[in-house]
Amino acid sequence: MNNPAPVFRDRLPEPMGLMLERQKTVEFIFEGERITGIKGDTLGSALLANQQWVWSRSFKYHRPRGPLTLAGHDANSLVQLPNEPNALADRVPAIDGLDVTGQNVNGSVKKDKDAVLNHFGRFMPVGFYYRAFYKPKGVWDWWEKQIRVKAGLGIADLKFKPEYYDKAFLHHDLVVVGSGPAGMMAALKAADAGADVLLLEEHTLLGGSLAYSEFSDCNNPEQLRQELMAKVRQHANITVMTEAVCNAWFTDNWLPVLQGKRLYKVRAKQCIMVTGAYEQHVVFRGNDIPGVIFSSAVMRLMKLYAVKPGERAAVLTGNEDGYLTALMLNRQGIQLCAVIDMRQASELSHTEKNLVDQLHQKGVQVRFGQTVYEAKGSQRLEFIEVRAITSPGEVSASLETIPCDLLCMSAGYMPAYQLICQAGGQLSYDDQRAAFSLRNLPDNLYIAGSVNGIHRLSAVMKDGERAAIEALNALELSDEAVPDVFCDQKVNFHWPIFKHPKGKDFVDFDEDLQVKDIVNATRMGYRDIQLVKRFSTVGMGPSQGRHSALPTARLVAKATQRTVSETGVTTARPPLTPEKLAYMAGRGFDPYRLTSMHYRHLELGAKMIPAGLWMRPAFYPKEGQRLTGSAASPLLLQARNIRNACIENESLHVRTKVGLIDVSTLGGIELRGPDAAELMNRIYTFGFLKQPVGKTRYAVLTNEQGVVIDDGVACRFDEDHFYVTATTTGVDNVYRLMTFWNTQWQLDVDITNVSSAYAAVNLAGPDSRKVLEGLTDLDLSREGFPYLACREGFLNVPGCEHKIPARFLRVGFVGELGYELHVPSRYGEVLWDILMAAGQPFDIKPFGVETQRLLRLEKGHIIIGQDTDGMSHPSEVSLGWAVSKKKPYFNGCRAVDIVMKRPQTRKLVGFRLSAEYLVQNQKPEEGHIVLSDTGSDSSITGNVTSCEYSPTANAIIGMAYVGIEQSEEGGQFPIRVDGGSVVMASVVSLPFYDKEQTRQEA
Amino acid sequence: MKVMTCPLNGPRNINEFVFGGEVTPLPDLQAPDQAWAEHTFYSYNGTGVVREWWFHSASGYWFVAERDRTTDQIIKTYDPSELAADIRTAMLDVDRKMFGVERKTEEVAP
Amino acid sequence: MPFALLKYGLNGDFPFEKDADLPPPVSLKKRYDVVIIGGGGHGVATAYYLAKYHGITNVAVLEKGYLGGGNTARNTAVIRSNYLTSDGVKFYSESVKLFQNLSNEFDFNIMYSKRGQLTLAHTDAAIRGFRQRTEVNKHFGGKTELIGPKEIKELVPTLNMNPGHQPVLAGLWHMDGATARHDAVAWGYAKGATQRGVELHQLTEVTDVVVENGKVTAVKAKQGSVDHIIECGVVVQAVAGHSSLLAEKAGFRLPITTYPLQAMVTQPVKPFLDPLVSSPAFHCYVQQTGRGELVFGGGSDPYPLYNSRSTLELKEELLAHAVELFPFMANLKLMRQWTGLTDMTSDYSPIMGESPVQNYYLDAGWGTWGFKATPICGKTMAELVATGKTPSLIKPFGAERFNDFRQVNEMGATAASH
Repeated sequence: MNNPAPVFRDRLPEPMGLMLERQKTVEFIFEGERITGIKGDTLGSALLANQQWVWSRSFKYHRPRGPLTLAGHDANSLVQLPNEPNALADRVPAIDGLDVTGQNVNGSVKKDKDAVLNHFGRFMPVGFYYRAFYKPKGVWDWWEKQIRVKAGLGIADLKFKPEYYDKAFLHHDLVVVGSGPAGMMAALKAADAGADVLLLEEHTLLGGSLAYSEFSDCNNPEQLRQELMAKVRQHANITVMTEAVCNAWFTDNWLPVLQGKRLYKVRAKQCIMVTGAYEQHVVFRGNDIPGVIFSSAVMRLMKLYAVKPGERAAVLTGNEDGYLTALMLNRQGIQLCAVIDMRQASELSHTEKNLVDQLHQKGVQVRFGQTVYEAKGSQRLEFIEVRAITSPGEVSASLETIPCDLLCMSAGYMPAYQLICQAGGQLSYDDQRAAFSLRNLPDNLYIAGSVNGIHRLSAVMKDGERAAIEALNALELSDEAVPDVFCDQKVNFHWPIFKHPKGKDFVDFDEDLQVKDIVNATRMGYRDIQLVKRFSTVGMGPSQGRHSALPTARLVAKATQRTVSETGVTTARPPLTPEKLAYMAGRGFDPYRLTSMHYRHLELGAKMIPAGLWMRPAFYPKEGQRLTGSAASPLLLQARNIRNACIENESLHVRTKVGLIDVSTLGGIELRGPDAAELMNRIYTFGFLKQPVGKTRYAVLTNEQGVVIDDGVACRFDEDHFYVTATTTGVDNVYRLMTFWNTQWQLDVDITNVSSAYAAVNLAGPDSRKVLEGLTDLDLSREGFPYLACREGFLNVPGCEHKIPARFLRVGFVGELGYELHVPSRYGEVLWDILMAAGQPFDIKPFGVETQRLLRLEKGHIIIGQDTDGMSHPSEVSLGWAVSKKKPYFNGCRAVDIVMKRPQTRKLVGFRLSAEYLVQNQKPEEGHIVLSDTGSDSSITGNVTSCEYSPTANAIIGMAYVGIEQSEEGGQFPIRVDGGSVVMASVVSLPFYDKEQTRQEA
Repeated sequence: MKVMTCPLNGPRNINEFVFGGEVTPLPDLQAPDQAWAEHTFYSYNGTGVVREWWFHSASGYWFVAERDRTTDQIIKTYDPSELAADIRTAMLDVDRKMFGVERKTEEVAP
Repeated sequence: MPFALLKYGLNGDFPFEKDADLPPPVSLKKRYDVVIIGGGGHGVATAYYLAKYHGITNVAVLEKGYLGGGNTARNTAVIRSNYLTSDGVKFYSESVKLFQNLSNEFDFNIMYSKRGQLTLAHTDAAIRGFRQRTEVNKHFGGKTELIGPKEIKELVPTLNMNPGHQPVLAGLWHMDGATARHDAVAWGYAKGATQRGVELHQLTEVTDVVVENGKVTAVKAKQGSVDHIIECGVVVQAVAGHSSLLAEKAGFRLPITTYPLQAMVTQPVKPFLDPLVSSPAFHCYVQQTGRGELVFGGGSDPYPLYNSRSTLELKEELLAHAVELFPFMANLKLMRQWTGLTDMTSDYSPIMGESPVQNYYLDAGWGTWGFKATPICGKTMAELVATGKTPSLIKPFGAERFNDFRQVNEMGATAASH
């Protein structure tokens, strides 16, 4: 191939070559050689035009493989592109400069070092890997590595950068999947009646078989195709998509359609599947040798790409399509060395006899009742051995060996059933027709054409219209009577399987499975078709059983003495064709939420961390302390040191001066109406009926299993108005729970989730009152606005008339004098700015979530989800005081009663480590386990939930679940820390800081 | 994607909705612990048409759907006010019993 | 070439009857000592251990479909023991140990493949949970470590350490994590059980359970259109995905809700990924099979259903996450998507032991994590059946725990890791 041949020399004359733009050439590389094709070629057609029939090597035996369907339906045509394994050579357009290689090859496709495996086939019976490699014990570890490297087809490009893929939605009255004659007729009929139709075609050309096939009842299919196509293209009610693959059927006619780099999600009110039928192969020894090919593939090759498929052709048929192929080959000047019909002459229909006569007139003789028993050739077909069929699957002695380089197979069809079976349709086998047909179609889905078992062109077209009428009736766009469509053309030969004692009679090309493999699977006890599949791997390859399902069903039925219908085929799961993950991933969707103060945190250099969907500042490193990306792992020593330094400084600042934290991510629920207090009372554990206006109250929520699942602060702003906060990740659930119950209770209260409507900060520290003074007209004095009070008021914006409406909550989460300010979200950034400005004289500093965690730990406050787990009930976390014992009901009350009356087994306690551990740097980490004792057979009694070095206490403090017997104050319990050593912690009463509560109540 | 018809918002993709469990009234507050355990953990979970709670997230609306647990077919959806009389009465009954009386709790020392 | 394969090549008549892994179908008898309902991994494992350790061989395994055709066929073959509770770790560790010897025990290669399992933490909350799991595992002798980004990158060089807005902060590296040819586990157990005299009846659907005076006495079953009544001393129900439906026939309810769980697989490519990688935050896990395919799994479907249809929305979400974690996978091709039915309990732990019906034992509630328990569940259930006493390993998992709201504290150790 060093001197590329002139492009046109070997191509057939027009009108062959529908796909080609003959003036333009393309050049690409295959296996290091330059291949010249014509614009419009696929890689495959260009390779064949250049006499390259070996495209890849087979999965198990590394046999040379070439084209089979030329429709993108088989695994023989999988090649490796630079960054894409398993590309279909017969579908990928030939593009200048593309570098293509064969797959599953050790060396080159022509000289594959692993081809030696072909001769060891008999040592590798079906499922051989279950029977070897594990004796003596331990050798499997070695064998596994050897076997693994032989697995897999292509090579994934691990450096590949995803391309831009996106998604779109379409809605249509009717979607017609397939633009063959039935599909176009259906689309036209429906569009004429006013339906809005989407017509999908997986190939480039409209027309399905009209574009490449021949018909006994139509002399000029191309003319018919042009006529139909013109009508379809011009119809205002029809949208046409070509090269668009409907790759699955999902509930309610939800169709994923792949086109270009886009996934269309199509909603169809009605759907007509006109998906056609897959031609089936004849099983005989050597049926995989390049040059043995489907009749339909040869027609495609000639009509679409004008490639001369061979010099000496043979045809093996069991239906009229073989004759039509033979006539076409003859017309294109290809020598026909044999036309072999597996049937007896007496079985031929009138139409078929006419076709035989036509061949006779051209000097071609037809052999009846014979078959190809073996095909021979190393890299390309060289001979076929012909024998007479004596009974189904049995043959006579050899009749003749005929040299040829092309063998076209027409053994029948399998309806393209996958999408229809996904929709709930079922396959049943008709012994008379030796074919599967589809039944039990769901509502709003119809089939027509060859997928419906109708093959005669005139009937196919009528069937398309019939399906359209059914769809139109369902759409109430017509009330026409549904006509019967009848077609008696038999296309399937009943037993096109000829087992050879030496094997290589392939049933499944993808997986290199021969007749004996399928039969032996049943003999080894795997009798169910699903077990046969799983044991032998039949149908599990890239073509997912398109061609192996039918012969496998027949073989298994025979071997297990059942009918083919009873045997069935394995389930057709989505997708129809292998689809790039990129289609499903689309542009990627990684939603996260930013508070309205987010950019202020970035400006201040905050280390941001995810909190549920939100991003929050963890702490604010100083210059020189910043770490980026995943290097900021808390497991890294340097990162830890920076973090610890930051939160120590920030926490001391809050304790001594004043700090500001963004708490906008808190959930907020607004309850308004006369029954607001009643609802609060029925949901949360505490009593809320008598909560005074202007006061807050701690609100704990338990679930129906008695587990603490959320907490918040309930503010009563008016008799009929509560505002209750919830945890960042829990609020949606809390809101759902409230609305769920009130749907049943019908209390007079409005429930609104206002989480994102409010931005909020906590201004905390001894100087916080001073910062706020002058910013509001509220009386901020200890008496006028005491601890746990709440107020609605305004915040002055310095230098501006405007005032910000705000809710003021005096809460004590961090244990200092402090105010939570909740304002409408749009004021969030302004709120931050004015507080930072007003705080400047008091040396205000921002603090982050991690610092807040330390501060609240010092105060002994729990965090739901950190200090509670999936089983924590109120007593275990010392929240019994927040559970009303009197009121008749709250959410989960009976469960709480049940779990609380049971002897308690564990308890969350505060602990403190003695100073020695500070020196030894043996701080327990959150998640470390608590042991029953220090003995070697100790058991696990609990775990550390929170633990930090507290600069205020100058000690390592924390909270941990311990066994109830370990929970007594003053007692000690062991914690196993990193490295396996054990530290002793002392149980102390909570809080660690300001037990008298004077600071927060200041 | 499956389509569900919300009584308030019409047909929508099912990922707009949240499943809320089977429609079963709470037991009597005075019912034994076992009755509450059954209510909490032992749902029907059978085949056939089951009456279920569903929530339309975008509009914050709870409604009832009757759905076939085998075919996934949604037989009908309706506002809870249209719940069958027996279920509704049971709910209201419990409602009355539950909120009218004081609850008895046993305190057990740990 | 291993010696074991030579005999096949040298003998053209293979397979002989003795080479069959499973015997041909036989007729149902009138009575069995033990009837096991469900011919999945758990059912045949129970039968195997009954025969092997307790000499009980008058046993029938009744399977509605085909051997191992339910969740044994559909699961993604994750084997691990890195749970959170002592009870969980003890139980699953025993299972891992049994798995390691199964090929030689069966004389049938289950292709046990120790790869290690890596679970990714993207938040400090996840790190807390992982640290606890690490420590609990180590306490019971498991090989598990909490590792940092550098070690993660070394284990899985192809992983994107900064997916979305949630960088990978740490990993739970469970060195005992493994996979196996899941079907082969069921086949191996069935082979071993039937060789010892157990009968496996496929295409045999139990239509009713006969209970007299609170005690099970027989089951009714259908083979095609033929009805049978089969007397029995003991029944074990092991029908994952249909537990509630069978229990209803026996006259009681189970604390279970049944949800579909979907998984998917790409075309095979040459091996590049050794460990099983899972990210609970991204609801995604992936492993590369011995064939070279990438298997993906994620979260359960959002509402209960007895139907194994697939959905596009689950696929879109799962694969979007997969591509965030491994961007180059955008160019790989998905070949197949499938669905199994999972019996979820509210505490993400199984139900094993006695039932309200005497002599009727439960093996249920396996949610998304049943495969890995196959050996130990079979072994302990067999012991329970043979001795009438609940083995201590499975005591914490009795259904009665729900009656007083005493659940197993295992949430979080199960999600998206299976």
